[in-house]
Amino acid sequence: MGQRVVDVQRRRLKPRDRTRALWPGLALPGVAWLLAFFVVPFYGVLAVAFGGLDPIFGNAVPAWNPLEWDTTVFGDVLDRVVNAELREVYLRTFVYVGVALFLCFLIGYPVAYYVSRFGGRRRGLLLGLILAPFWINYLMRMLAWINLLQEDGYVNDILTGLHVTSSPVNWLEGRAVTVVFGLVYGYIPFFVLPLFAALDRIDRSVIEASRDLGMGPLRTFLRVTLPLSKQGMLAAAVITALPMMGDYYTADLLSGSPRTSMIGNQIEFFLFEGSQKNAGASLVVILSILLMAAMAYYLVQTDRATRELHRS
Amino acid sequence: MTFHPRERRIAGGIDRRAFLRQSAFTAAAVAAGPSLLAACAGDDAAGGGGQAVPLSRPDNPVTLPTFDDIPMIADGLEPESGPLKIFNYAEYIAPQTLRGFRRQYGVDVDVTTFTSMDEAIARLSGGQAPFDLFFPTTDVIAKAALGRLLQPLNASYLGNSGNVWTQLQDPFYDVGAQYTRPYSLFTTGIGYRVDRVTQTPDEYDNPYDILWDPAYSGDLYLLEDDREVLGMAMLRAGEVDVNTEDAALVDAALADIQALDDAVNPRIGVEAYTILPEGRATIHQAWSGDVVNAQYYLPEGESIENVGFWYPAEGGGMIGSDQMSVLVGAANPVLAHLFIDYLLDVDNAHTNFEWLGYQPPQTSIEPASVVADGLVPAHLDTTVIRPEDFDNGYQLLQLSLAGERLWDNAWSTFSAGA
Repeated sequence: MGQRVVDVQRRRLKPRDRTRALWPGLALPGVAWLLAFFVVPFYGVLAVAFGGLDPIFGNAVPAWNPLEWDTTVFGDVLDRVVNAELREVYLRTFVYVGVALFLCFLIGYPVAYYVSRFGGRRRGLLLGLILAPFWINYLMRMLAWINLLQEDGYVNDILTGLHVTSSPVNWLEGRAVTVVFGLVYGYIPFFVLPLFAALDRIDRSVIEASRDLGMGPLRTFLRVTLPLSKQGMLAAAVITALPMMGDYYTADLLSGSPRTSMIGNQIEFFLFEGSQKNAGASLVVILSILLMAAMAYYLVQTDRATRELHRS
Repeated sequence: MTFHPRERRIAGGIDRRAFLRQSAFTAAAVAAGPSLLAACAGDDAAGGGGQAVPLSRPDNPVTLPTFDDIPMIADGLEPESGPLKIFNYAEYIAPQTLRGFRRQYGVDVDVTTFTSMDEAIARLSGGQAPFDLFFPTTDVIAKAALGRLLQPLNASYLGNSGNVWTQLQDPFYDVGAQYTRPYSLFTTGIGYRVDRVTQTPDEYDNPYDILWDPAYSGDLYLLEDDREVLGMAMLRAGEVDVNTEDAALVDAALADIQALDDAVNPRIGVEAYTILPEGRATIHQAWSGDVVNAQYYLPEGESIENVGFWYPAEGGGMIGSDQMSVLVGAANPVLAHLFIDYLLDVDNAHTNFEWLGYQPPQTSIEPASVVADGLVPAHLDTTVIRPEDFDNGYQLLQLSLAGERLWDNAWSTFSAGA
C-alpha cells in the first residue's frame, strides 16, 4: 500500500514540475520548422550534390542513401574552388561582402545609435522610414537604380553638377564599386534593425555611470556603448552577410560583367541553366560549410557573452 | 545549355526569366532551387529504356524512336471541347492568333508559360505539366521524344504542312517530321548602333572582330548563352562545328572569349531589343527577331535607322528554329493538331509574324515582301532569313551529357571572370 502511494505520487507531477516540462515543449514548433525547412532540404542538397544525373534529361538523381554517395563531382568542384577559376569568384564574393559589411557598419551604426538614443517619440517613425524600402520589391528598387545610375541619370547629373566628376561616369559598365553599393543599399536595413535592438537594450544607467565617473562622450562610447553592442554588431553582420553571400541578382542587374560575378551567379548557372545540377549543389554545400564556420564563431561569441552575463 | 530568344528581358531592364526567378526566390533559396526540388520529386524521370539520346546533325539525320504504347491519334476524329492547353514561352503567340482559333473552333485556349527550356523540360519530365501543345527548341526534341514526352503527329490533320520550307518538312533532327512542325526562325548576329560605330562589322577583315575591339570597352554585350558565345568565337576562328565535343576546340574558344573579356569587359544579357534602341550599348550580340522588335522599343526622338544588324551576307552564321509538338497524355490531341495546322496557315502565320517579330518558315514570306510589307525596316533586311541560310548556316544542336558538361564548364570559367 505504502509503495503504491509512492508510485502514485511519483506519477503525479507537481504543478511546478509540469511547468518545467512545458518549457522544452515550447521549442517543438521551432524544432519542427527547422527540421522541415532546413535539415530536410539541406539533406536534399547533399543528396543531389553526391547523386547522379539521369541520362536523358540531365535532371539530378539524388542519392538519399549516404552509402551510395558519389563524391566525384563534389571533388571536381572542390578542386576548382581550391585550385582553379572558382577560387577567384569565391574570394571576390568574400571581398565584396566584407567591404559591403564594413560600409553597412559605417552607415548603419550611426543610424541605429541615433534612433535608439535620440529617437525619442519619433523612433517609431524613424524605424518605419528605415523599413520603408521593404514596401517596394527589391527588384523594382534595383531597376530604379539602373535608371538613376545611367550615364544620363540623376546620379551623374548631381556628381557633374557638384563638379565631383568632370564627365558622366558609366556606373553600369561592370564596376565592382557599383555591385558593392547595390549590396549595401539592398541589405543595410537587415544590419540596422538588430543593431538598433541591441543598442536599445543597453542600460542607460551604465552610460550615465560612465559619464558620472568622468568619461567624456567619446570615451563613454568607445569604452561602454561599443563593447556592449558587440553582440548586436555580430548578429547584424551575420544576418546581413548570409543573404549577401548567396546574392546573384545584384551583380546581374547592376553589372552583368563576368569580372564582378559572385558565387551566387555560378550556383544559379549550374542549377538553372547548366547540365550539372550536382555541381551546383556542390557549390551550395561548399558555401554552406564556409558560412557555417562564420556562424559557429557567432554562436561561440554569443555563448561566451551569455556566460559572462550570468557570472556578473 | 542554350538560351532561347524568347527568354528576353521585360521592359525596364530585366529578362522575364530572371524576373520570375528572382522574384520567386530569396538568396537563401538558391540552395534549394526548383531544380533540386524537381530532382527530389522522383529518383529517375527518364524513360527511353536505356537508349542514348541520338545526336542528330545535318550529315547524320535521325529518325526518332516511337513507342507502341504512345500511338498517334486516329484519323478523322472530332475536335474535343477543350480548353486547349498550350505550354509555351511568354508572349510567343500573337493574341489575335489565339482569338482567331477560339472563334474558328469555339473552344477556349489556355496558355501556360515557362521561362526557359530547361524549366519546361524539368516540369514535363517531372510529370507536372498536363498540357496539350508544347513549343520545344530543336536541341531538345530528341530527348523529349526519347523521354516519352511527345506523341507522334498525325499528318492527316496537318494539311498546311506543305506551306513551310521544303528542307524543314523533313528535317534531319526529326526525319519524317514524326514529332514536330516548325514554328519560327532566328539567326544570331551582331546588333550595333549605326550612329556610334566607327566601322560597321562588314568593314572589319573579320566581322566578328568588332566584338574584340577595345574601342567598345564597357559598351558591349554578349548573349547570356554559353552555346551562342562560345559558338561565335568558334566561327570567328573559322571552326564551323559549333556542336563539337572536342575539348581542345572548346578550350580554344574559351581562351578567345577570355581575351575578349580582357579587351572589352563585356556585359552579359539578352536585352538587345531595348539596349540597342535606348543606346545603352554600342554593340550587342543579338538574335535577329530581337533586332526586328527594337523598332517597338524606341525612346521618343530615337530612330530605328540607328540600329543595325550584321549577319553574314553569304550565310554561314548561327541559325535556329523552334518547333511545335503534341504532348503525351494530351487531353485535347485533336485540338492540338488543329492549332498547329492553324499556325501553319499562310494568313495566320503572317498575322502571327506581324506581332511576334520572329519569322515563320513559310514559303509565301519572301525576303522582299517582308520589307515591302513594312514588317522589317529596309536597312534591317539582314534579319530576314532565307531558306538557303539553313543550308549554309550552323545550328546549335543536342550535345551528349559529357559534351554539355564540357561547354558548361567553359562558360562557368568565363563567367567567373577568372
